[in-house]
Amino acid sequence: MSKTMLVVDDSATMRKIITRTIRKAGLPVADEILEAGDGNEALQKIEGKPVDIILCDINMPGMGGLDFVKKARTIDANKNTKIVMISTESDENLIASVKADGADGYVTKPFTPETIQKELAPFLQ
Amino acid sequence: MVGQEVFAEALLSGMAEVFETMMFMSVEECNEMYEVIDGESLLSTITFKGAIEGCLGVSCNLNCAQTIARNMLGSDSEEAIPEEEVVDAMGEVANMVLGAVKARLTDSVGDIQVSIPSVVSGRELINSLGDGSYEVSKMVHIDEDAANITLLYRFTTQSH
Repeated sequence: MSKTMLVVDDSATMRKIITRTIRKAGLPVADEILEAGDGNEALQKIEGKPVDIILCDINMPGMGGLDFVKKARTIDANKNTKIVMISTESDENLIASVKADGADGYVTKPFTPETIQKELAPFLQ
Repeated sequence: MVGQEVFAEALLSGMAEVFETMMFMSVEECNEMYEVIDGESLLSTITFKGAIEGCLGVSCNLNCAQTIARNMLGSDSEEAIPEEEVVDAMGEVANMVLGAVKARLTDSVGDIQVSIPSVVSGRELINSLGDGSYEVSKMVHIDEDAANITLLYRFTTQSH
């Protein structure tokens, strides 16, 4: 069964790249992939309608990815949602910190299709 | 204090990684004496602060920016990519290049915090940071087109 997905990034180009990469990788994701431009918009999108997987940038205007993860994890409906961060930040301490705050995975930009596939595959079983 | 050659190497290798991975395009340093960015161009900049503070800029002409956006988006269409999408793509290029540069410099320089990119258009666009700053500027070939990448920075009290 295909999974529902939300891609959160302030760059429309990056949202398209991520969506295209997921489609090309043949991952079992629903026909409609939701998009949001920052954490606030993402919270609105999943309010009362949680998704299976969220791919989220960190460095965004408005609500960034770090605050979004913390807020999303306070909502019971999202407790089973897998959240994978996608960011240019590669600092190990930051990655550990965001995982401690509730992220399930982390992909560093630039990324290859194989990296996305490998990171998401466990969550798409 | 870290020398400019370290910044130059991080700049070129970081840019090459981003372009090869995300756009499937090659980046090679070229002799700037024989290269200019003709006509209307875009300058994408992103600032940073922390162990060093400054700004990274990537500039190229509109034709090159179109090619970059087309490759990023994986577009096979003959139609031009809308300006709004080209601008957004160029902003993301600066963001990713600075991320790659940061990853290469953190051990030797220290941590930096990165802002949100911005993009302007015009002719003969130049980025500057003011007194006490250093500049590493490279002309590169991105496939067939010429582009310029510049790192302006100054050391702070947090520098290694």
